[in-house]
Amino acid sequence: MGPPSSIKKKFLKKWITGLQICSSSKENMSLFERKKAIKLSADVAMASARNATTCWSRALIANASKDDNNKILVDHILGTESERLKKASIGSVMCNNKRVRSKKILKKSCSFRRVKKMAPQMVLASSIAKRLVKKRTLVLKSLVPGGEAMDESSLIEETLDYIISLRAQIDVMRRLANASEHLNLK
Amino acid sequence: MSRALPEMIHCLNTPGNLAGNGMEVSVLERQRARMKWQQEQLQQQQNYVNENGLSMFPISPHTQQFQVLINNESVLNEFVNRVMKPDPGLDHRWPHFGKFGGEDSDLGSCGIGNGSGFEMNYAISRTASCPPAGAAAIAEVAETKGRESVLPEKLSSAVGRESFRKRKADKTQNLKVVAEDGTRNKRIKGCAEEGESKITEQNSNNKSTTTTNNNNKKETSTDTSKENSKVSDVQKPDYIHVRARRGQATDSHSLAERVRREKISERMKYLQDLVPGCNKITGKAGMLDEIINYVQSLQRQVEFLSMKLVAVNPRLDFNIDNFFTKEAPACTSNFPTAVGVSSEMANPAYLELNTLQQLVSCCGLDMGTNPPDMAFRKTLSDPVSIPETFLDSSCFNPYSTWDTNLQDLYGVEFHQGRSPSFPSQQFIGTENHYKNDHYKTTLVNT
Repeated sequence: MGPPSSIKKKFLKKWITGLQICSSSKENMSLFERKKAIKLSADVAMASARNATTCWSRALIANASKDDNNKILVDHILGTESERLKKASIGSVMCNNKRVRSKKILKKSCSFRRVKKMAPQMVLASSIAKRLVKKRTLVLKSLVPGGEAMDESSLIEETLDYIISLRAQIDVMRRLANASEHLNLK
Repeated sequence: MSRALPEMIHCLNTPGNLAGNGMEVSVLERQRARMKWQQEQLQQQQNYVNENGLSMFPISPHTQQFQVLINNESVLNEFVNRVMKPDPGLDHRWPHFGKFGGEDSDLGSCGIGNGSGFEMNYAISRTASCPPAGAAAIAEVAETKGRESVLPEKLSSAVGRESFRKRKADKTQNLKVVAEDGTRNKRIKGCAEEGESKITEQNSNNKSTTTTNNNNKKETSTDTSKENSKVSDVQKPDYIHVRARRGQATDSHSLAERVRREKISERMKYLQDLVPGCNKITGKAGMLDEIINYVQSLQRQVEFLSMKLVAVNPRLDFNIDNFFTKEAPACTSNFPTAVGVSSEMANPAYLELNTLQQLVSCCGLDMGTNPPDMAFRKTLSDPVSIPETFLDSSCFNPYSTWDTNLQDLYGVEFHQGRSPSFPSQQFIGTENHYKNDHYKTTLVNT
């Protein structure tokens, strides 16, 4: 990841183009729809600003391009390399899903065996801490886009990246909001 | 003695490793390397013999000795068998060796070997008088035997192990061995015991690299004598260095698991630095809690900000292209009055014009905004909040949004006399805009 300022610049550029498309495509939108459009464009812009090198950005793009209504927007934000990125992201998500399924099966069989093997005291001692961590890991997986397909180490890595990107996004958004607010009020 | 020992140990060590994994290096290479080692060893032995005034035997070329040694299959087989024989304790070992040496000398004197072979055997028969040297020599001969006849890998590794144990016995029994060699011995023993779990790929031909490797390993072992270096790859640049402490499992699965866990904990450390308020929390569950909270708060912030943008900016019209074209007339019409009205605000703003320009150029969206235009907008916005204004100056303009009814708005505002409490009434203001916007759209529709 480059310096944060360059990411912000990239994000802003893509976001602005996304917003243009939003505003030009639909004239009459409800407040909620508009908010959704803004959020979606911001997310996709952020993901494409990261060049879809990370899992979360790919998952975001794949999720966004699933919906037909958003396809134009995603295409425009992604720009020239939209096809490649989309293909890559969808493909990775697909194969991730497959991997998740096989992993789940494996886990089931493993845990079955382990439970049988362990002594009752051992189960009590270690499983509480393990369960706590597991529960939280699951929550984190649901929070990070595309997190269901990740293993633990890559999940933490992606979370790092995602947090940094979210910070940049929030910073840019806040500035834009403040600016428009000031301008509108004067 | 102490000079010759490191070389011997080196020689003992490397074949052990080779036999331990014995997969990468081809048999031919190994054989060649062994030839080389053996030559060196023989030279050293000869030196040793010469030093001790035992140079009465004629020294023939090593290769010839080799041949002789190989020819003496019966003798060497016996050596190997002797060495490989499992001994219950060290106490039994030395008498046994003494006996062994005695037999050996008998064999040598029997004349089974000729001159050069006899010299070799003589060196071995010295075990009776000088146990450490003899043990080394026997081990070496046994190994050369193992190498030259290309015995199965297991045999040679077993031989190596046996000899390593002997080396350790030497260390415990002989005070002549210096401390440096002692550490080496320890390490070698570790090597021998973990021959299987080692993923060491040592090029037997490249002797210098192996010796440096040995030195490195020795350093680590002297640093933390409890630790045994597990994976050290000299050949490949991308290797993973894993160390197992005493009592830790050494099979490949647990090693991989340990690497994975270390990776996770390292990243968790980074996350701890990144997430505010996560420094004091220990324990993975607590940290994950904090991270989850932080990510959720960030996501909620994004939601909130997008909502705010919708409220502030009802038509999503962040249109840069239209913005500059539409702005030109609006600017020219509004500029004089605006500056005239807010002249007291314009003064600090002009001072900060340079920084503003820098920000605009930094933003990368500098679309040729002319300074008076910027100054105009600067007067309208709050002069204190420069960081916020760099965006609006470049990419956002409400005039393009409400280009028709903005004049009215400003007219209303001017009638209100630009009350200072106005910025606090954001929501009223936005509601106003919103209504205006609807009004405008209805106008457009009708």
